[in-house]
Amino acid sequence: MARLVGIFELPAQAAAAVKQLRSRGYTDLETYAPAPFPEVEDAVDPKPSRVRLLTLIGGLVGVVSGYAMTIWMANNWKIMIGGKPFTSIPPFTIIAFEIMILFAGVLTVLGLFIFGGLPKFKLDPAYSPRFSAEDFGVVVRCREQDVAEIDALLRENDAMEVNLVES
Amino acid sequence: MTPPPNDTVAGMIRPVPMPPDSQTNRDLLAVMKGTSSGYWFLLALALFFLHLAAAIWIYQVYKGLGIAGYAHPVFWGVYIVTFVFWVGIAHAGTLISAILYLFRAKWRNAINRGAEAMTVFAVLTAAQFLGIHVGRMWKSYFILPYPNQRGLWVNFKSPLLWDTFAISTYATISILFLYVGLIPDIAIARDRATGWKKVLYMVLALGWMGSSGQWKAHNRSVLHLSGLATPLVLSVHSVVSWDFAVSLVPGWHTTIFAPYFVAGAIFSGFAMVLTLMIPIRRIYRLEAYITDYHFDNMSRFILLTSIICGYAYISEYFMSWYSGVEAEQTAFWLRAFGPYWISTWVMIIFNTVLPQLLWFKKMRVNVPFLFVLSICINIGMWFERYVIIISSLSREYNPSVWGEFIPSWPEMGILAGSFGFFCTFFLIFLKLFPIIAIAEMKEIAIHQKAHGAQGAR
Repeated sequence: MARLVGIFELPAQAAAAVKQLRSRGYTDLETYAPAPFPEVEDAVDPKPSRVRLLTLIGGLVGVVSGYAMTIWMANNWKIMIGGKPFTSIPPFTIIAFEIMILFAGVLTVLGLFIFGGLPKFKLDPAYSPRFSAEDFGVVVRCREQDVAEIDALLRENDAMEVNLVES
Repeated sequence: MTPPPNDTVAGMIRPVPMPPDSQTNRDLLAVMKGTSSGYWFLLALALFFLHLAAAIWIYQVYKGLGIAGYAHPVFWGVYIVTFVFWVGIAHAGTLISAILYLFRAKWRNAINRGAEAMTVFAVLTAAQFLGIHVGRMWKSYFILPYPNQRGLWVNFKSPLLWDTFAISTYATISILFLYVGLIPDIAIARDRATGWKKVLYMVLALGWMGSSGQWKAHNRSVLHLSGLATPLVLSVHSVVSWDFAVSLVPGWHTTIFAPYFVAGAIFSGFAMVLTLMIPIRRIYRLEAYITDYHFDNMSRFILLTSIICGYAYISEYFMSWYSGVEAEQTAFWLRAFGPYWISTWVMIIFNTVLPQLLWFKKMRVNVPFLFVLSICINIGMWFERYVIIISSLSREYNPSVWGEFIPSWPEMGILAGSFGFFCTFFLIFLKLFPIIAIAEMKEIAIHQKAHGAQGAR
């Protein structure tokens, strides 16, 4: 197997190259971008990120545990305060709200780690500091007999250069 | 081109060539390079005040809160004033990074990192005052609902407990927000750093490469964190205001406190962003990144929130008169003409009169004027809290228990130390992490390259 890196100047070019590669059946590909560009990310995988699932779970667990904690604690050792009911929902809502935000936020970051594949202990050899400057990279893994075809295809889509890297 | 034979493919492998770095990277990473003698002087000054405050605090632990001038009837003094002040400062950071993100106001990209860092350090500074104010700091864990041998739990009906949850959630979410935004920028720094900094950035960047999956998850996370931080920031200062509004003290017991405090917080926070970013822009030559356009927008926010504050001041006075409650009327009369009249007029002039100059475009882009104005607003907003807290407490219902409050030297020393604490963190952050969000600036630059100049802003 071989790997090719096409280097592009603009996000639209990288996105077009990715789309064409995918339509030709080269699906083992990855892009590296200096900033988020939805056209590039959606070209690789159009599905929305699943981070939102974790945010939802965090929020729901937070609000339930916030109410559960306050209601249980207020009734575990009952102290009459100002003649208010032991289970006072309005003030407990504030606590439940804060815990909801806290849990949802923490799980959102956890979602970034899980679905973004972080932390990564080894950088991809195809990665280059150019992609943290202003260039876009399209990395394709292919059989060695396809190298020439992909090389031509990347250049057709205005790749500035195409390099072979370790696979 | 014919397909190369198998044995030559391996032979053709070479590292990706590296052309000169992009302009944005060079300009913005330059802020982190080298330290001038001026920088060390400022850091030394900040550390001096930080240690001064630490020494005073140790003395206070030894002697008791009496040295802070806490005596009947004023038991909430400068420490609480300063606590509310720093919590308020924090809010503009979240407004810029979260609310303006949701509104897709691209101009925030130039100032959001500085504002987020300001938020985190301001919340940490504010949190110190909870401990300093309660006196026996080593018992501050009593406020957490932890299982204990007495079988007692905390009182969730108390606003002070709401405060604990609000502030700790706010601190956590702000730190997460700052860090998530920093990851791509740390990766930029990692690719260009050497020595111990390289190791630090390698660890903190978590192997970020900007792959499609990473950006997608990152975008989603920032969107959700913004969506969560927006109601959070409104709730935090509302809860801080309820510390006062839930009581029966004349001058505190009003329903407008929550929106009034939130507007004031955003007002003072924007002023602090200006106070911090104007010198940074000047010293590090970032005029190309923070432009007149940004100052114009920030000034408009300051003007808007200043008007909201002014409206709140007026309605407070109106309501106290209209209510017919003698204690309320007396409290507000004494605010303006009683022993604390200087604080009240400083507050009114600095917070509502001076910012009216921002109606003029010339003033909105006049950077030296904005710098002076931002410092005036910081002073004015500190006095706003001073007026609310001190004047109300010293003049409660029964005239026989009225008293005077004069700030004591330990309080003023710790107030100065809070600026030292904040500046120490901010100055260290300035040299370790990019103060302008590089990846977000590039997003604009690349859009401009692709679509011409109109894609910007």
